[in-house]
Amino acid sequence: MPSTSAILNRWKPSADEPWNFQRVWHLHRRAGFGGTWAELQRDLTDGVGASVDRFLAGESHSVGVPAEFGEMADTIGHAAMTSANIDRLKAWWIYRIIFSPDPLTERLTLMWHNHFATSNVKVDDVEMMWRQNLLFRKHASGAFGDLLTSVVKDPAMLVWLDAAANRKEHPNENLARELMELFTLGEGHYTEDDVKNAAKCVTGWTVSRRAFRDHVQHHDVSQKAVLGKTGAFTGDDLLGILLSRPETSQRIAWRLCDTFLGASVATSDVIDQLAAGLRDHELDIRGAVETILRSNLFFFQKNISTRVAAPVDFVVGSVRALELVDKPPSTLLLAESIDRLGQELFSPPNVFGWKGGRRWINARSMIGRGKFAAALLAGELHYSPLPDDAFQLAKRHTGTNDATETAEFLSKLLLGNGKEPSRTDSLKTTREEEVRRFVGRMLASPESQLC
Amino acid sequence: MFNRRQFLKSSSLVALTPTVPAFLQQTASATEAEKHERILVVVQLSGGNDGLNTVVPFADEAYQKHRRVLRLPTDRLHKVAEGIGLHPAMENAAELFEDERLSIVQGVGYPNPNRSHDVSMAIWQTARFDREEHNGFGWIGRSLDTLPAPKRNAPSSVLIGNQATPVALRGRKSRSSAFDTIGDMLTDINLRPGPLPNGSASESDGDLSSFINRTTVDAYATADLLTDIVNQKKRESVSYPSSKLASQLRLVSQLIQADMGTRVYYAMQSGYDTHSVQLPSHSRLLRTLSQGLKAFLDDIAAAGLEDRVLVLCFSEFGRQVQENASNGTDHGTAGPVFVAGKSVKGGLLGQHPELETLTNNAPEHTTDFRSVYASVLQEWLRIENAQVSGDFEPLQLFS
Repeated sequence: MPSTSAILNRWKPSADEPWNFQRVWHLHRRAGFGGTWAELQRDLTDGVGASVDRFLAGESHSVGVPAEFGEMADTIGHAAMTSANIDRLKAWWIYRIIFSPDPLTERLTLMWHNHFATSNVKVDDVEMMWRQNLLFRKHASGAFGDLLTSVVKDPAMLVWLDAAANRKEHPNENLARELMELFTLGEGHYTEDDVKNAAKCVTGWTVSRRAFRDHVQHHDVSQKAVLGKTGAFTGDDLLGILLSRPETSQRIAWRLCDTFLGASVATSDVIDQLAAGLRDHELDIRGAVETILRSNLFFFQKNISTRVAAPVDFVVGSVRALELVDKPPSTLLLAESIDRLGQELFSPPNVFGWKGGRRWINARSMIGRGKFAAALLAGELHYSPLPDDAFQLAKRHTGTNDATETAEFLSKLLLGNGKEPSRTDSLKTTREEEVRRFVGRMLASPESQLC
Repeated sequence: MFNRRQFLKSSSLVALTPTVPAFLQQTASATEAEKHERILVVVQLSGGNDGLNTVVPFADEAYQKHRRVLRLPTDRLHKVAEGIGLHPAMENAAELFEDERLSIVQGVGYPNPNRSHDVSMAIWQTARFDREEHNGFGWIGRSLDTLPAPKRNAPSSVLIGNQATPVALRGRKSRSSAFDTIGDMLTDINLRPGPLPNGSASESDGDLSSFINRTTVDAYATADLLTDIVNQKKRESVSYPSSKLASQLRLVSQLIQADMGTRVYYAMQSGYDTHSVQLPSHSRLLRTLSQGLKAFLDDIAAAGLEDRVLVLCFSEFGRQVQENASNGTDHGTAGPVFVAGKSVKGGLLGQHPELETLTNNAPEHTTDFRSVYASVLQEWLRIENAQVSGDFEPLQLFS
């Protein structure tokens, strides 16, 4: 076991811990939303360095990616925005997540949506939610300061946190509190007085006609004491103070570890080390992501299959693994399925976002995941035509009718470990119905909820 | 119809789960005793309810002074005591109060209040102040751990709603389930996994895959039970208002009437984080709450079960005394807790918080929430050793 300082060092395959199918599968599920058989085989051949490079370059998906992806996505996004129907905006994002050549950026966009959790239930404006999402994507892997500055001045965020009437006479604490508790420092690293004074700093920041406004006449110009510093601070000064605090880099480091490694995998030493790296590079997200994705920590055997698949991971992972991309299911229905499993995009439950991990799993969601798997395999999420099914997929990739080989292929593809799950019945024949039921049970199994 | 025997036969895996032995040992007399068991229904008011505009100290000068836009008209309040009235939208709650079916504990909180939704909610839900324990077990889950598992393999507690299971319900041994509508849990497809691998039945939930295994087994067991319950149709005597909360309480009533065996039900009403334009939204929330509560208690009474059911409503904190510039209020400290049902003593309990001496614009609590819990656990659920409430003397909530 390498020491703490080496745990973030670059992982190198060894005889004991080789670059194998399981690790390729792991990389695709964590950095993206799951690979197809061909993508997994390609990366297995090319090695870990080239595979991570592909993710960082935004080229890891190749199967099903339309040549004109960017234009297609923009057209769909625009139509959703014009329709003012949030369900269509969800479908747009699901489209991006499934078909983008760059799933890592979508993963990070989703992470920031959770970090800066804003809900359309209150904002009630599809265009603002769309613009906020574009902002998350644009700054997804840039400098955190740029992201933070854009987001706290983002109209959807300002509506969400009641900045509409944030005036010097009576500052509204909501924006100031969430800025410190959730976006930067984390709870416990500031006092109630800091919140009060921070609220004064952001007085005057407001939104009108879907745009940020800084009304100087409503700004409190008095001296404010925030986190041990005193001055006639403005909102931008406050952001500067918050960005310079080590707790902020720790919170980002924690957020990244939570996203790519799952809850409580990274120890506080690891987070400290990652946070120090972030501070050395002006809070550059991309560098920290790269460190994690290449690290020993990321590829150690004991950290594989230890993260609970969120509804988006589970649904999109199933769709991509089964290659339902030529004749894809309806993205509207997929988004609705994801809603039902508890992850309503653009409507996180509250300012804390989705807490994830074990909280994804309860009686309702387990039955729900089973129901989703059954509906997907029965073609109920397709308008028409019906897709090729798992039976044909296995036949295409294995070129065999042998039941054992088919079962092995499918469990490798869906569970990543190449072992038949102990708790599903074995496949006795390759009759179409039986294969479909086998896949359904596999997706509904406890093993499928980890990735 | 699906009976217990078929249920047992059909799910061989259930026989391997840690929760089954109690179920197998069930005797006829135990089932009879359970018919008299008391049930707790918790309604969580999420977001921090403005207690000051719920149980209103209209005669207090400080109220008049700090609430200019948000001050509620005195003549429209439902007077419940000298100088104190319920919000105008709480007509149904006032009726319950009049009937002595509602007790209101004033100024409930805890020392050194935390104003983060997350932390304060975790404190209320776990009754623990150490952050390390906020992801552990909750006050209800720990208490249910000390009781035998309910009959028919029913979960000890159920969250009715589409939220994540609250930590309040998490226990070491007791099972908690969650569903929003019965339909969520009815399934005609059989995708249940095979038997648990050897040895895993004794593993604790500490291990992630054991946790998922156990939840999956529990999920399909609950689904079978509910299929059974749905087949026993019950007549409804009361009409419920149309709101999410009312339909959740209605489902709770159906499950209690179907004799499911679960001891604690939990529902959440969200939206209380009223930082801006508070008057209309707060009014709507309180109306929904009191209407839902009244319909539920009337329904339970009509079913002849009113001696067995108690409702507890709490919020993670109250709000600041001085309103903000957005015609709303920011995060504060103590607030009122409602305890409703035929068995309560009725009336106002505890002292209304003192509004003259404020810390950061919010008052000191006058009653510790753990003494409310102590009363609910010891005197209502009759759990003595729950280790939840420490040394807190139970409030005298019941007559």
